[in-house]
Amino acid sequence: MAVLDYLQFVLAPQMVTGLALGVAVVLVALGLTIIFGLLDVINMSHGEFYALGAFVALALGSIGLPFWLLLILVPLALLPIGYMVERGLIQRVFHGGDRHVTTLLLTFGLGLVIEDVLKLAFGPNPHRPETPISGGVELLGVFVPNYRLFLIIAGAVVIAAVAAVVYRTRLGAMVRAAAYDRHMAASLGVPVKQVYAGAFAFGVALAGLAGVLLAPIYSVFPTMGRDFILLAFTVVIVGGMGSIAGAVVAGLFLTQVQAIASLYISPVWTDPIVFGIMVVMLMVRPQGLFGRLGHA
Amino acid sequence: MLTLTDIHTHYGLSHIVRGVDLVAEAGEVVGVFGRNGVGKTTLLKTIAGWVRPSAGEIRLDGERIDGLSSDGICRRGVGFVPEDRRIFPGLSVEENLALGFLQVPGRSGAQNRAALERIYARFPRLMERRRQTGTTLSGGEQQMLAMARVMVGAPRLLLVDEPSEGLAPMIVADIYAIIAELKASGCTILLVEQNVTQALAVCDRFVAIDRGAVVLSGTGGSEPDRIALMNTIAL
Repeated sequence: MAVLDYLQFVLAPQMVTGLALGVAVVLVALGLTIIFGLLDVINMSHGEFYALGAFVALALGSIGLPFWLLLILVPLALLPIGYMVERGLIQRVFHGGDRHVTTLLLTFGLGLVIEDVLKLAFGPNPHRPETPISGGVELLGVFVPNYRLFLIIAGAVVIAAVAAVVYRTRLGAMVRAAAYDRHMAASLGVPVKQVYAGAFAFGVALAGLAGVLLAPIYSVFPTMGRDFILLAFTVVIVGGMGSIAGAVVAGLFLTQVQAIASLYISPVWTDPIVFGIMVVMLMVRPQGLFGRLGHA
Repeated sequence: MLTLTDIHTHYGLSHIVRGVDLVAEAGEVVGVFGRNGVGKTTLLKTIAGWVRPSAGEIRLDGERIDGLSSDGICRRGVGFVPEDRRIFPGLSVEENLALGFLQVPGRSGAQNRAALERIYARFPRLMERRRQTGTTLSGGEQQMLAMARVMVGAPRLLLVDEPSEGLAPMIVADIYAIIAELKASGCTILLVEQNVTQALAVCDRFVAIDRGAVVLSGTGGSEPDRIALMNTIAL
């Protein structure tokens, strides 16, 4: 019985917690990997867009808008911001010689600006929004807080919807075509500039959505994107830069590794394990687990 | 229909296309010949908008198209079948074809489906393989797909680069049958080809290019012009 008890009261709750975090990490990593797969841009401001999403939700929540509405409003609000950042900033340096370096520095700088603006507007201290659903349920003998259950289901639905759009629709075919060969895609009529900006905006909106979803679990503070984005980058590298399946598999896997490892060692030491996996991956299979968006 | 006036194209410091003047009238097939590396492919890429000309003008039915984006040029009725076919490996055959719908903005879903049905009727092989990804096709099938993908949009001007490269003679004959059909349907074609003998059979006129400039022009049907061409490109 000891084994069963251990599974039910120790391992399973930890895995559920890991799963909730995993789903949120996948949402952030999805945006990051789509932007990289399509534009070849490493978006260093992605974590700050995640924080921006949480703060926009906090601000709108404080004027009385219900949480459920924010889940739709915040990503919608981030779409035009992402679109303008791509068209107004990234496109300007995109065709220069050193694309990787210039876009990396540009988005890094943008992230610093967003972080400071958030500090000025909301102060450096953490805010703790109320959990929109309290209580919990027992699933197969395991106690699961309702909000975490909601987070897992909502995240899974969003991830499935993103995959369906990318792999099952005409729009998704345009995105995959532009990711593989932008010249040929353009010569078939794909409006590549709009696809780029749209995909960037979409990735930013996904980060914002993750911010809204995670705000009730973690606190909201201006540098909240930093820790989280490291994990998301690790997920993208392990899963394969520009791979949607890779982001999902690696996101869920690495968060489970973290969750389970923290049962046996100090949680402080779970980060080195996760980053160690990334380093090993970079050495033995630098392209990651799965192929890049649009590639066979 | 297509008029190039003193077109120059650079890749960095390399001056590839050096002052090309070229005219293609509506419905004509114009062959562009020359040895490897003389700028034929770059010329087509310049017309398609993949590279910007550093000087000169490109007009399509009087409208300037140099400086437009590739998708803008495409929507004006310019189809491009580049030399290495550029099939999207992550897309199925049907997805590759359906991308071609975007060439004609404002077409209804029913019109698009009708265009796809016509393509499948013409290329039953692609119909059989419509769910497969592009890279599982043979070289000949990929060339068919590259042509069919452009034909979905019924372009006014078609740029074709080395369509017979690396293909078996029987498949080359198939490809040229398609080019002849397109010509019969009134499409203007600019054809870059190493296989000069094969190409001359469908060309109304031709130009020979050397070191980025037109060094000879002639008519496809004229024997002296053909001999001059063979001497020029030393084949």
